Amino acid sequence: MGTQVSNAAAGPERSPFLQSHFTEMVQQFDAAKIGMWLFLVTEVLLFGGLFVGYGIMHASHPEAFKAAHHHLDRTMGALNTIVLLVSSFTMVMAVWSASVNKKKLVVLFLVLTILLAGAFLVVKYFEYSHKFHDGLLPGKFYTHQGDTVPGQFLFFSFYFMMTGLHGIHVLAGMIALTWLLRRALRGDFGAGYYGPVDLVGLYWHLVDMIWIYLFPLMYLIS
Amino acid sequence: MASYAETHAVTGPKTYFVILMLLIALTVVTVAAAGINFGEWNVVIALLIASAKGSLVALFFMHLRHDKFNAVIFVTGLGFLALFLIFTLFDVNTRKTVLPGNLKAPILEFPGAPLNKPVQPSTGTALGEALPATPAPPAAAPAAEHK
Repeated sequence: MGTQVSNAAAGPERSPFLQSHFTEMVQQFDAAKIGMWLFLVTEVLLFGGLFVGYGIMHASHPEAFKAAHHHLDRTMGALNTIVLLVSSFTMVMAVWSASVNKKKLVVLFLVLTILLAGAFLVVKYFEYSHKFHDGLLPGKFYTHQGDTVPGQFLFFSFYFMMTGLHGIHVLAGMIALTWLLRRALRGDFGAGYYGPVDLVGLYWHLVDMIWIYLFPLMYLIS
Repeated sequence: MASYAETHAVTGPKTYFVILMLLIALTVVTVAAAGINFGEWNVVIALLIASAKGSLVALFFMHLRHDKFNAVIFVTGLGFLALFLIFTLFDVNTRKTVLPGNLKAPILEFPGAPLNKPVQPSTGTALGEALPATPAPPAAAPAAEHK
């Protein structure tokens, strides 16, 4: 009976991407989207623990956090913010291109998004190697000399845990985007089926959103 | 076959580009605002701008303005994060110290303690500083009750 309903609603051709337990593409899309949003909520709570810890430590050691944040390069941080914002734009453009059946544009915007994600990690690599060189490391690994304000290791514990976890998410996003690109090159995505592009897009925007909060909290303490 | 685009509102590239420009403008504003001294308000301003940017991303890039069902899921998640944050701050702000109650000897460097100064167990006050008007009972007494 389910098949009859879907045939009536979806026409004679059943999309090869429609899984057997769904009656039509829209239902499959909406169900997958709810799942993605639930996953994003768990991500918010994962980072939330770190944000709450940061808030407590910042409140109890304001001088140490203020002094430590001067070791960060504001220009690099702002540059990375803009790189991620633009990558969010190219991502949403990939979703839009798929929804209006422009298959070549999907490939173009996915490539741009992957390149921007790579650019973000390259900037992060230069920032990290500078910190490693100066001994600005978390907890007991902190070996920076000549501090006038004690306790700066606390800031770098949060800096590395939060930007590190975020960096891992960027890396995971790049893997997902590469998988999308492979499928887009095969011509899988069009107006009738672009769920995966949309879902990876949601994940990518959340990663962007987390950085939007990390940037002022890490780089702009004043 | 009804495609997703036919049954759901889709935002166009023009809107996306305007949102991107707004997001970049807000990034410039937040960097500029950090250079001005508003005292304690600096953090509030920075977080408000970040929230404005986050809302733009959620409403337009993540299409939440056309997606009420998933908006409820996401906002509920944020609500639980707010509960987590607010109740933790209540706890931290109403304590004199976050030192564990069964700590017996003065220690150096503990979260919430004055840095690089030995602190009194149970009160968290730095050694050498004036103790509170009513001196705290010896730490061993309340700790012993647990054992």
